[in-house]
Amino acid sequence: MDKTEKLIWEQPWRYAEGFYVAIGIALSGFLLQIAIGNLQLTAFQYPVNAIIGLIFISAILLSHFFLRKAAVVRWLSSVYATVPAIVVLLGIVIILGIIPQFVPYATKADIPHNLSGLFGWYQMTTSWTFIFSSYYLLIILGFTILKRTRRKFIWQDIEFYLNHLGLFLAFMGGMLGSADMNRMRMTVSEGQMEWRAQDQLQKLVELPIAIQLDTFMIEEYPPKLMLVDLESGKALPYNNPVAYLYEGEGKSTQLMDYKIDILSYLPNAAILRDSINTSAVAYLSEGNTHAIKVRVSNENMTDPVVGWVSNGSFMFPHSVVYINKDLAVAMPMQEVKKYTSHVQVFTEGGESKAAVIEVNKPLRIANWTIYQLSYDQSKGKFSETSIFELVRDPWLPFVYAGIIMLLAGSFYLFIVGPKTKKS
Amino acid sequence: MSWDYFIYFSSVSVILWVIGAVVAFRTDKRLVPTIFTVAGLVVFFLFIVGMWISLERPPLRTMGETRLWYSFFLPVVGLITYERWRYKWLLSFSTLLSAVFIVINIVKPEIHNKVLMPALQSPWFSPHVIIYMFSYAILGAVTLIAIYYLFKEKKLTGKDKLMEMTDNLVYVGTAFITIGMLLGAIWAKEAWGHYWSWDPKETWAAATWISYLIYIHIRLKKGVSNRTAMIVIIISFVILQMCWWGLNYLPSAQQSVHVYS
Repeated sequence: MDKTEKLIWEQPWRYAEGFYVAIGIALSGFLLQIAIGNLQLTAFQYPVNAIIGLIFISAILLSHFFLRKAAVVRWLSSVYATVPAIVVLLGIVIILGIIPQFVPYATKADIPHNLSGLFGWYQMTTSWTFIFSSYYLLIILGFTILKRTRRKFIWQDIEFYLNHLGLFLAFMGGMLGSADMNRMRMTVSEGQMEWRAQDQLQKLVELPIAIQLDTFMIEEYPPKLMLVDLESGKALPYNNPVAYLYEGEGKSTQLMDYKIDILSYLPNAAILRDSINTSAVAYLSEGNTHAIKVRVSNENMTDPVVGWVSNGSFMFPHSVVYINKDLAVAMPMQEVKKYTSHVQVFTEGGESKAAVIEVNKPLRIANWTIYQLSYDQSKGKFSETSIFELVRDPWLPFVYAGIIMLLAGSFYLFIVGPKTKKS
Repeated sequence: MSWDYFIYFSSVSVILWVIGAVVAFRTDKRLVPTIFTVAGLVVFFLFIVGMWISLERPPLRTMGETRLWYSFFLPVVGLITYERWRYKWLLSFSTLLSAVFIVINIVKPEIHNKVLMPALQSPWFSPHVIIYMFSYAILGAVTLIAIYYLFKEKKLTGKDKLMEMTDNLVYVGTAFITIGMLLGAIWAKEAWGHYWSWDPKETWAAATWISYLIYIHIRLKKGVSNRTAMIVIIISFVILQMCWWGLNYLPSAQQSVHVYS
C-alpha cells in the first residue's frame, strides 16, 4: 500500500501533511501575534480591506488558472487539506468559547496581562492566529469551488455551490467588513434633537443623521411577590426562588408554607411611612410606584399579617411585609415588557422620517439602521431619555448574499442528503 | 394549563411510547408501533400547546422549556428513522433518552412565568429555537447510534446500512443547525445590530457546526475508519451540549446575551 510506503511530504499529500501545514500556519500567526500584538481594525478600513480582498481573490484565481498542474494547488482543493484546516479552526474557536472576550476596540490597559493576553486570546477574532487560520481555510474553500467548475456540471452541484460559495461570501465579507462597521451610541432626551454620538472608542462624533425624540414609553409586566430571607437578602427557596406574578385583586397564592391573599393593588401609588406604619395611597404624578396590600397566613401563626408591599421608585422607598424576624414578603423590580421611542429622523441629504423604534423593530434610513438600545435605567418607567444604537455596515450585502445561499444550500442538503456510495 | 400537569401528560406519553417500542420488537408490521408513538406525541404536544396558551408566549425561554421540546422531538426522530430504515432499537433508544429529559424536567422544574424580555419578542424566536431543538434531537439520535456502533462493532452485521443511516441523519441534523444558526444571525441583526458578535452561545454554536462539518468531510473519502467517524460524532455532541447548557458554567458566559432567567 502506498500509504505505508509514502514518506512524509512526498506527493501526493494526505492528512498528515494537511495537519503539518494547518498547524504551521496557525503557529506562524501565533508567533506574529506575540511579536506585534492584535490586528488594529482601524488600519484595515476601506479601501485597505477592499484591496486585500481583491488581491486575495485574484491570487486564488491566477493560481487556479496558471498553476493548475501544481500538486500543491490540487492538494489545497482536497479533503486532505480541508479537514485539518477545519480541525485547527475548531480548536481556536473552542479557546474563543472558553476565554472571556473583550471588544475589538478595548485598549491594552483593559486586557489582563497574562499568557492569554500575550497570545491575543482575549480578543481572539483580531488575533493573528485566528486570522491566519481563517484565511487559510478561505484559500482552501476558494480552490475547492474553482476545482468543481472544471468538472462537467451535474444538478447536485447546485448544493455544493450554494453551500461553499455562500460560506466563502459570508465568511470573507464578515472578516473584511468588520473594519468598516460603524456602531454609534446616541442618547436623546424627550423633546430634544441630537446628532452627536459616541463611537466604539468612546469618542463623540457628529453624524450625518439627527434624531428628535418626541415621546419615550415603557410598558412593564405586572409586579411580582416573593419571600426573602432578611439576613441574607436573598429570595427563597434558595436553590430555586419562586415569584408570584400579580393576577388580580382577591386572588391567593402559596409561597412556601405561607398563604398570600391579595387584598388590593395600586398601580400608581405613593408610599407613606411614619415611625410605626407604612401605607400606600393612590398617586398619579411622576415618581409613583406599585403597591400591593397582602395578608399572609400560616397554620403556625396566631394572627395573619397584613401590609403594603412595594418595590419603590426613585422618589419612594420600597416596602416589605415582615412575617417574622427572619422572613418578609417583598416585591422585586418589575420586568420590562416593551420600550418604545416615537422619533423623527432627519438626514443631511434632506430626507426625514417619522417612526416608532423598539427592540426588534429598528429603523432603516440612508445606509444607517437605528436600534432601540436602552434608556435611563435609574429612572425606570419615568425615563425621559432613550438610548439608540446607529449601525452602518457597508459589507452587509456580501454577507447576506452568503447567508441566503447557505440557507438555500441547507434546504437542498436536507432534501437531497448524502451521495449514495456505491459499494 | 400549568406545569403541575406535566407529570400526568408526560407519564401517559412515555407509557404510549414504551408500548410502541416494545410492540416494534414483537412484530414486523409497523402500524401498531406507529399508532402508539403518534398517540404519545399527540398527548405530549397537547401539553406544549396548553403551556403556550397559558403563558401567552411560546414555551421556549427557559432551559426546562427547551428540554420540553427536546423530549418531544426525540420520539419524532425515532419514529422517522424507524419508518425509513426499520431499525427497531432506535425507537426504544429515543424513548429512553426522551424519558431521561422528562425526568430532569420533573425533578428540576424551572420557573415558567409569562415574562418575555423585549429582545425575545420577535417572530424569529420560535423558528430559531424549534429548529435548533429538532436538530439537537436528530443529532442526539445519531449519537446513540455512534455509541451503539462502538460497543457492538465486532459483532455488527450490515455496517454499510448503518453508516448510510448515520450519514443521512448527520446531513439532516447539520442542515437544520445551519438553518437555525443563520435564522439566529438574521434575527441578531434585527435585534442587536450585528449578525455575529461571537457571543459565547454563538461561538459554541459555530464550534458545534464546524465539528459536524468535519464528520461530513471525512466521510467523503475512504481512509478514515467508521470508528473514527463515530468518535467524531460523539465529540461533536459533547460540544453541542456545551452550546446548549454547558456554557452557563463557563467564565466566558457571564456577559452572554443568550443566558435567560
